[in-house]
Order: sequence, then structure tokens, then C-alpha cells
Amino acid sequence: MNRSLPIVAATVAFMLAACATTQRKSYAKLQAAHPRSILIVPVVNNTVDVDAPDYFLSTLPIPVAERGYYVFPVNLVGHVMENEGLSDAAMVHSADATRLCALFGADAVLFVTIERWDAKYMVITTQVTVEFSYALKDGKTGETLWVHHASMVYAPGSGGGGLIGAVVNAALTKAAPNYMPLARQANANTFAYPGPGLPAGPYLPEWQKDIAAQ
Amino acid sequence: MTRPTLIAAAALLTLGCAPQTKYTWGGYDEVLYAHYKAPQDHKAFVDALKTVIVQSEAHGNAVPPGCYAEYGYALLEEGQSADAVVFFGKERDKWPESRALMDKMVTYAQGKSNAHTVSQKPVPQDIVPSSGAQPLRAATASEGKTP
Repeated sequence: MNRSLPIVAATVAFMLAACATTQRKSYAKLQAAHPRSILIVPVVNNTVDVDAPDYFLSTLPIPVAERGYYVFPVNLVGHVMENEGLSDAAMVHSADATRLCALFGADAVLFVTIERWDAKYMVITTQVTVEFSYALKDGKTGETLWVHHASMVYAPGSGGGGLIGAVVNAALTKAAPNYMPLARQANANTFAYPGPGLPAGPYLPEWQKDIAAQ
Repeated sequence: MTRPTLIAAAALLTLGCAPQTKYTWGGYDEVLYAHYKAPQDHKAFVDALKTVIVQSEAHGNAVPPGCYAEYGYALLEEGQSADAVVFFGKERDKWPESRALMDKMVTYAQGKSNAHTVSQKPVPQDIVPSSGAQPLRAATASEGKTP
């Protein structure tokens, strides 16, 4: 049981770190591309949970739009892609970013992959883990503008918790864990700026100022 | 540290770095989630999207990016092509970044409306210029490698 303690400690540390400025990245390419709009394409699933990609997709538009970018309607986009023969997310991700962006008139495309989305049932507690990788690519050049990797672990009764813990914990009593609060928190940490995330888009007053100040 | 103190500290911490939201979302993420969870409840999806828009407009805020378009597409799926055109137009007027896509959606919805079809699922084959369709498919050769 004690083996999970370092993981929990690491998660808490990660959460705290997300509030402060961490992880210096190069924003030169993103600054040069200065996208106004972001196309979020269907999520690739590297887990056995077949529902995870659609559920996770639903959490993505808000945090990206809140960073001041125009975000294309994800459900409409998914249907249009299906009708174009791109029904499989892995196919979409292996497509040329510039062609995808040209289809929708987007400046950049966000590819997200779910690496983990699971619950480990232990003797006393249940440990819930989500892990995602994110990549933003330029619609004109196809170059990668920004990448991030995020993982969140929650194990009730192991000292972790807070507000998210309370929500996940409450959901656990109903047999199946609720991944959504963890997923949303992972996104919130990921897109935060200053932090590992996206500098302000054109619909925020700090547009092109915050990134220049770095 | 006692448990209540810990929770209070965590709450304070969360508040400390949680930014105010720019838009009034009205549970837009929950609406999408519910739709993906139960796609057969399509009428509920349409109504929920409408509520998001009404709430946002009532707050005097800009309707968030994508919401008019998503509602328009949901209406189109319900066979309400003329109403769909109105909302694709609203998305385009509010968000210039959506213009290229919304122009295609308007053309497509108008085509459906003129054809008086009763098909349940729209098939926007005109969404891609014919020159662009083939190379895109050719570039995606990883079919069948899903886990």
C-alpha cells in the first residue's frame, strides 16, 4: 500500500507546480505562427476503455477557448471527418496537419492521445490514473508548435484529495470511477500559462504581450 | 494537520490559481459528454445546446466559439435545414475564423433544404474540394492499427 505514496506525492507536487511557472519550453515557433484558431480533432485511444476518447474530447474545447483561441465545434468536426472517410482517429492523426487545417480553414490543429485511463482496484483503495499527450501543429507548415504530456493519479484515502479527490471519491462509491474531474484537471494544468500551456490567443487582452514578456 | 484544515487549504489553493472564465459556458462540456454517452437522446442534445446559447446571450456575453455551429449542426441532423443555416450564419458572423467552414456548411444545408430530402444523416460530400479529397486519404495509410 505504501508503494502508492510516492506517486501521490508526485501528483500533489505536479499539481502545485502547475500553479507556478515551470518547465521552460521554447515558444519561438508558436510565437512565429501566432494561430488564431485551433482545430481539435478526434482523440486517439491507447487504452482499453472504448468510451474514453469521446468523453475526453468533450473536456477539450473549453480550456483551449478560454486561452483566447477560436475552437472549431468538435462534434460537427468529428461528423464531417467521418463523412470524409476519416472515421478512425488514428487515421486523422497520421494525416498531414496542413491538409486537415485546409479542410476546415484552421490555423493550427491539436492532436491529443489518451495514454492511460484506468482504475486499479486494490485491497482498500482504488487508484485512478489518467495520462495524455498533446501536440499542436501548424496549419501552414505542419511543424510542431507545442507539446505537452500530463498525468494525474488519484487514490482516495492515501492522503491526496482536495476538491477533485472529493468528487472522484464520491463517484467511486457507485462502483465505477468518474474520470472526468481528473481529466479536466489535467487539461487545466496543461493549458495554463505561464506554465506549460498555451500563451494567450487573439481573444485575450494579453495576446502577443505575455509571450513577448517571457 | 486535521482533515478539514487540509481540505480548506486545498480549496484555497485551487481558488488561488483558478482563473475566472472568459465565457459563460453553461455546462457546454457536460452537454457534449451527455451526447457522447447517450447519442440516441438527440432531442435532449439539441435542447441542451439551445440552453447554452440562451444562457450565454442572457448574460450579455459572447456565445462561446463553436456553440452556434454545434447547435446548427444538431438542427441539421433533426432535418431543420433552414434553422441550421441561420445558426451557421451566426457562428460565421461572430467568429471570422469559422468563415471557410461555415460557408461550406451553409451551402450544404441549403442544398439539403432545396432537395427536400428526409434523410436522417447528412452526408456533406461537398465539404472538400474534389482536388483535395484524394491526397488526404492517400496520406492516411494507418487503417486498422487501433488497439
